[in-house]
Amino acid sequence: MYKYVLRRMFLAVPVLLLSSLIVFGLMRVMPGDALTVLMGESGNISEKELAKVRKELRLDLPYYQQYGLWLWQMMSLRPGDSLLTGEPITVSLRKAIPVTLELAALAMVLGLVIAIPIGVLSATRQDTASDYAGRVVAVSGLSFPDFWLGTLVITFAAIWFHWIPPIGYTSLWDSPWRNLQQFLLPAAVLGFRLSAATMRMTRSTVLEVLREDYVRTAWAKGLAGRIVVYKHALKNALIPVVTVIGGQLGVLLAGAVVIETIFALPGMGRLTVEAILYRDYPVVQTNVMLVAATLVTLNLLVDLTYAWLDPRIRYS
Amino acid sequence: MPTQDPKGTYSGVSRRQFLRRAGGTAVGLGALALSRPISKAAAQGASPYTEWIPANTKAPKRGGTLTRASAWDPPMLDPRLTQSVGLYQFAGLTSNRLVRYAFPDEASGAGDMSLKGDLAESWSASPDNRVWTFKLRQGVKWQNVAPLNGRELTSADIKYCFEAYAKEGVQTFNFKEIEGIETPDKYTVRLHMQTPNVFVAHALAEPISIVFSREVLEEDGDLKKRLIGTGPFVLKEHTRKVRAVLRRNPDYWDKGRPYLDEYIILMTPDDATRKAAFRAGQADFVWMASPSEVEAIRKTNPSASVQAYHNSAVFFGLAMSQDKPPFNDVRVRRALSMAIDRQKQVDTVFEGHGILGWGVPYMYFQEKPLTAAQFGPWWQYKPAEAKKLLAEAGHPNGFSTTLFYYEYWPQMTSQVQLVQAELKKNLNIDVKITKLDYTTYYGRYVESKWEGLCWGFQSGHAVGLDERTYQYMHSKSTKNFFRVNDPQIDELTTKLRQTPDPKEQRAITKRIVDREFDQVARLWMPYDNGFIVAQPFVRNHASIALRRTDGYGSPHIARVWLDK
Amino acid sequence: MNGDRGAASMTAAVAAPPVLEAAHAPCEETISRVRLLWLTLRRKPLGAVSAALILLLILTALLANVLAPFDPLETRPDIRLQPPSREHLFGTDDIGRDVLSRIIYGCRISLWVGLLAVGIGTVAGMIVGLVCGYWEGRPDLILQRVMDAVQAIPALILALAIVSVLTPNTTNAMLAIALVIIPGNSRIVRGAVLSAKQNRYVEAAEALGCRHLHILARHILPNVTAPILIIASIWLGNAILIEATLSFLGVGTQPPTPSWGLMLSSTGRAFMEQAPWLAIFPGLAISLAVLAFNLFGDTLRDAWDPKLRRKG
Repeated sequence: MYKYVLRRMFLAVPVLLLSSLIVFGLMRVMPGDALTVLMGESGNISEKELAKVRKELRLDLPYYQQYGLWLWQMMSLRPGDSLLTGEPITVSLRKAIPVTLELAALAMVLGLVIAIPIGVLSATRQDTASDYAGRVVAVSGLSFPDFWLGTLVITFAAIWFHWIPPIGYTSLWDSPWRNLQQFLLPAAVLGFRLSAATMRMTRSTVLEVLREDYVRTAWAKGLAGRIVVYKHALKNALIPVVTVIGGQLGVLLAGAVVIETIFALPGMGRLTVEAILYRDYPVVQTNVMLVAATLVTLNLLVDLTYAWLDPRIRYS
Repeated sequence: MPTQDPKGTYSGVSRRQFLRRAGGTAVGLGALALSRPISKAAAQGASPYTEWIPANTKAPKRGGTLTRASAWDPPMLDPRLTQSVGLYQFAGLTSNRLVRYAFPDEASGAGDMSLKGDLAESWSASPDNRVWTFKLRQGVKWQNVAPLNGRELTSADIKYCFEAYAKEGVQTFNFKEIEGIETPDKYTVRLHMQTPNVFVAHALAEPISIVFSREVLEEDGDLKKRLIGTGPFVLKEHTRKVRAVLRRNPDYWDKGRPYLDEYIILMTPDDATRKAAFRAGQADFVWMASPSEVEAIRKTNPSASVQAYHNSAVFFGLAMSQDKPPFNDVRVRRALSMAIDRQKQVDTVFEGHGILGWGVPYMYFQEKPLTAAQFGPWWQYKPAEAKKLLAEAGHPNGFSTTLFYYEYWPQMTSQVQLVQAELKKNLNIDVKITKLDYTTYYGRYVESKWEGLCWGFQSGHAVGLDERTYQYMHSKSTKNFFRVNDPQIDELTTKLRQTPDPKEQRAITKRIVDREFDQVARLWMPYDNGFIVAQPFVRNHASIALRRTDGYGSPHIARVWLDK
Repeated sequence: MNGDRGAASMTAAVAAPPVLEAAHAPCEETISRVRLLWLTLRRKPLGAVSAALILLLILTALLANVLAPFDPLETRPDIRLQPPSREHLFGTDDIGRDVLSRIIYGCRISLWVGLLAVGIGTVAGMIVGLVCGYWEGRPDLILQRVMDAVQAIPALILALAIVSVLTPNTTNAMLAIALVIIPGNSRIVRGAVLSAKQNRYVEAAEALGCRHLHILARHILPNVTAPILIIASIWLGNAILIEATLSFLGVGTQPPTPSWGLMLSSTGRAFMEQAPWLAIFPGLAISLAVLAFNLFGDTLRDAWDPKLRRKG
């Protein structure tokens, strides 16, 4: 098992390097320049001025040198500063990551709380009205774009209740109550969408497993139906569900830019997307690297969870 | 509390009707789908909202917190390196300028462009307008924050600041015009200009010409981290993408002011969320684009005060690559201009509450806003003539071109598509639209190397006449995004800077504008004016021409008070 | 997005004995597949409804010129923002265009976006997966690492970056989405190929010296098409949503193109209070399309997944 883990981690290095190269390449090929936003709505920059700022930001070096420089910074865990704000990237990350983590955790929890019971219910009552109802509700969660659901929620909260989550992010430690108020609605919107996918996967895998021989045997042995379902079936059904959850966690950790924008939360999503739109190269490269590394680790954890859930699966 | 509407009535829609409609709206999407269209009043163009909210006659109350949900997050705090409204929405409060424009409680109306002293008590120019002397107020203290610790402001500070602006950054163009700065004593600053310029004081009154401190620049190496000035508010906290908190400066030289304890700006990038924040009482004033949006807000907040803002500072138009064919031919430009129905856009897209377009603010050469006729023959909607003119210019079957833009607000997308449809229908010109993100749009536009068309702007902060004429239209200016290249305009704008007599100034400005319209040097398009909507207890927040209180007009907030 | 590891459910038990399947000829395989689908549709009403919806969407897209009452691009600003009426069943938008006509033509755009994006992504992913799974060894190792590298970049970020490099428009949005889909698909195909290879008669065929292409076509491909089609049907819905989000971020379809995503994210949101129909109808259209594709994908899985089939 250890050899497997080590091998995976060893293989992860070229993968991450490749990812960073792809992102670096894409960012540099994009038209536009971090400088144009820096100069903010004025045009009276002489070429000399521009050249000077470009030199300061080291954007005049050949690409491979810039890449090498950045790589070196990453290795030494000093990713440098944002081109746009001059703020050290570690500081920006320290501020953005807790927001994304909290949003992700809450959304996951809400999503699972909705999804798994409905999924199981749908499977055990296959093809009945509750199955259809559950499936349609779940899939509707998949069908509405984030930005629409989020806008709808915040607009009508204001109109009907004259209340919206308090704007202006406060961390959980500073003021837990205000923080929870801020996160509940966006987490619910996100969670609703996630629950759809999880619910469908739960339903389909429970259906599969319910047909297995050992389940029928357990039934024939006369154990109470519910115990059969939850104990035997769920554990095996969880494997693909864990995959789905792992995938969703990955997406969540990358940041939900749309929800963050609508609910004014300064998370990783906005940080990365706004950095792309403003061509803030170091921020984009560092963020994507961080997220990529997290995703790769998450994949590994998911695969290890398989082994724990299904003793038949063994890695060498 | 009803707004002070000079007409005394809202046009035809009573409060009860508003509330009844509010009930219908709240029922659900199904009901909403069948709700009535935007009120006839708005469609007919009559605006029930006042254009000016004069100073309240009650004595101002001290205290309270004013909150605003803002779309703009400043990229950095360094006034040398950015002109972004994101910074000046509060830098105008932490810092002062030498000279300023009138505040709402001292202005005579929405068009008041008079100068008042800020850090300078008085100023004068030599007869040839090359030497300008400013007498500073005495006893002005920097804010009591390290490293300044409340020391007094002297002329040496001004000299340092202006020289720093001239050395690097986005304001070099203006400040390089200063040949030398003398400080004969602690309270006198004398500027020697390279060429005679009657508008020096106006240039220093621009919202961006704030005075920053030497100590911070020397200690930090830049001004990106700390913003300390002499202004009415101290920047207590600035968390990027979250909020900026400004607290009253207890040592402010204008005794008794500011009235507010605190001004909090919440960074809220989404428009729907900003509206929701106003509704929920988390924001005290907000800008809205159209009458129907205002009506929608008033359904849930019927007592909100509304100011119809007619004189926005940011102008948009159809910028043409007029250094190249086909747009270098004046006939082509005129044809384009006649093929677009501007009035229709004002009536429909802007629901009657829009301006046909302007480049130089009208108050610089006449009393009232331009009427359609005053634009001249090339600005009337005459599609048949346009087609003839285009054929004369050698394009009887039209041509293809491109247009790129950034959606500053949704009405702009409506306009762009209307223009595309009209140019196709009237002139058989195929316009391919590309909607870009802000960076790509902005970078491409100011580089001035693009081809085809662009929905372009003239910068947001400029209040002064010199900015609006010389800086934007002279062929040698680096801010000439519309690529105007007309010797007559060059001559007139240069002459303008040397004309001290106000009447003559107005005459020359009118000639510049006439020439601009005649040559269709810049194809102005209708644009929004918008509305400032505020909670009923906010006082003295009115926006004045070219200075919107929530944006570059932020210094107004020193005079705002809350009647609660 | 939930598709990329769906293969696990079909090839999970690595150590389980291989499933013995009767050796069918490929075209027989296809016929029996279609028959299975038909039987499933008859039994499961939700599946039938989704199939009908998809048919409706396809017909609308094909017959758009006939069905649409007005020109979707014709601007009539005088009648802007009108609520649904007899003349304009879905109302008019911010410059007086008929919303119903735009929705109908939008069907064409959205299906086009979806089909092309998913088509390219699926085919390309399939090729990569087949190469990796069948030949294994060095090419497998390298290609899989490249796929991992692409997949490690969050989908929206990757799509945004690709569209920002190229000019933002519908075609490039499609390309971006296709590129995002490829790694996941290749992994599924690879997994399916690996499991198919364990089949006894594949070993036999190899031993007999059959040509690779022959083996691929007769034995491997049929096992791969099922999971691919299922995942593709789900990705069709996702593609429409990603395009809508790219439009929201300002880098998607260009005006005046009547794409549902653009309609929803720009005018729909901007005029949500004054003219809610501008958001309701594109939103419903997107929802119905995504719903239909997802439910159909479920039905395909119900019909073709061998595990479910056995007890069927």
